[in-house]
Amino acid sequence: MSYISQYEYYENGGNAPEDANWGSYQYVSLKDIVVNYQLMYSGNHSLINNEERYKILFHAKRAIQELNYDAFKEVKVLQLTVSEELRFVLPSDYVNWVRISYYKDGVIRPMVENVQVNSAKAYLQANDARILFDQDGKALQPEYSPLDFTRITGQQPSIYLNSLSPYNGLLGYEYEGCWYFDFAVDARYGLNTETANANPTFRIDKKAGVINFDSTMADESCILEYISDGMENGDDTQVTVNKLFEDYVYAYISYQILNSKLGVQEYVVNRARKAKSALLRNAKIRLSNIHPGRLLMNLRGRDKWIK
Amino acid sequence: MINDIRNTVLAVLNKNNYGYISPQDFNLYAQQAQMDLFEDYFYAYNYQVNKENQRTSGTGYADIKKGYVEVIDFFSVTSPLTQIGANLDKFSLPSLATTGSDYYLINKIFIGSTELERIEQSKILLLNSSPLTAPSTMFPAYTTEGSVATIYPVPVALPTVNCQYIRYPKPPKWTYVDLGTSNEPVFDQTQPDYQDFELFPDDATDLTMKILQYAGVSIREASVVQYAGAEEATEINSEK
Repeated sequence: MSYISQYEYYENGGNAPEDANWGSYQYVSLKDIVVNYQLMYSGNHSLINNEERYKILFHAKRAIQELNYDAFKEVKVLQLTVSEELRFVLPSDYVNWVRISYYKDGVIRPMVENVQVNSAKAYLQANDARILFDQDGKALQPEYSPLDFTRITGQQPSIYLNSLSPYNGLLGYEYEGCWYFDFAVDARYGLNTETANANPTFRIDKKAGVINFDSTMADESCILEYISDGMENGDDTQVTVNKLFEDYVYAYISYQILNSKLGVQEYVVNRARKAKSALLRNAKIRLSNIHPGRLLMNLRGRDKWIK
Repeated sequence: MINDIRNTVLAVLNKNNYGYISPQDFNLYAQQAQMDLFEDYFYAYNYQVNKENQRTSGTGYADIKKGYVEVIDFFSVTSPLTQIGANLDKFSLPSLATTGSDYYLINKIFIGSTELERIEQSKILLLNSSPLTAPSTMFPAYTTEGSVATIYPVPVALPTVNCQYIRYPKPPKWTYVDLGTSNEPVFDQTQPDYQDFELFPDDATDLTMKILQYAGVSIREASVVQYAGAEEATEINSEK
């Protein structure tokens, strides 16, 4: 892609959306990656020759996917209201989650993942517990399993210290002149810190493609921070790579092609592998932005008094 | 160039009264010889590439490959392809009827500045099946079947599909007027069907030797075939 003018950058040349090019200089497009690679790393006098473009494209996309999983640290954020069925359907480009928060009264409260299972599939059963089948031999299923039903209807107690805790709202009790309450901090000896959280809980059902919440989340706002694979729902024009990783992507493509090609000497493959690994390390260090300003901020934390 | 070559051929053939070839025969042999040499250019180009990879070739005036590229590029044509029927994805490959010349080799097909990648028939279904490799408007592809090119993905509107290809050299034709006083056909390049060789002048020797070989076979004169063959081999070796 050619360089753009300041006017195109700031105002998209007067077109909508105005922000189309903001920050674009940090990135190199997939097309540029493939074209540059074909031009500079592939040809009659290069290590790579007679390779189809689709192979280069495939490896370029695989490199970008791998980078998106961890190295890029590009977290997408989606805020949606949780349905009555206490489900939040995962975004179409979801690969993994980073953090799920509950948004209430202008405050973002990070939620904890429920260690217990909160959703299940069930089959209809006869009195003698035998599974019932339809005429095609498929097991009959209820709309909700008992576990789901109790959760959706708000009858599922929680082991967490939120409003679904079986002890929540109960009166305290007096023992030898002292009153004890289940939420009283000083009285909770042997507290399970893993479940000591007052916020709603969730659990992700990856196969079903949903996040299941406890019943306190019905109609509440949820913020999902997640990572994608950078493929932008198949729109190649939107696929980009941070420039810090550009050389790594070229090295990755070379390595993958050489590694799968017949008759390439092992030392050549090894050279490509080492180049790829070294460039990834370099790019990660660059992206981590360890610079004096940030270090200074961290070091200032030393002076804080811990009471 | 064609008249010079014909005169040389006739001179060699007639030296010991070996024989004579008619203009019609000469034209046939000339076309065959030109095609032979034309095809050799691609193999010679590849040979030079290999030599470069072995680091046994030079640059500047010693860059032999550059010369081959120039000759091949002389036959390069860029022309829009014709849509077939109302199909948005099917186009006629270059031919005399559509682009004015048959193609020897399609170098690239492109829409705007985006090149389409040629995909083998055995791969296209696989390619379309994978989300990472499926052709897109940014990375389109095409397959060929007979004289039809099918482009992927199917465009939403009719695109201008261009093709850059290497055409066949035009068949050479030595044209003449009525027999002159010496009872010989007299060369006349003003005839509408006149066509000189399209290869470069440095191929004149090779063309002559090739035609001589065909003519030698035609008049059943083994020594002509032998001589021309040996000359051609010497020429080829000297160019390596």
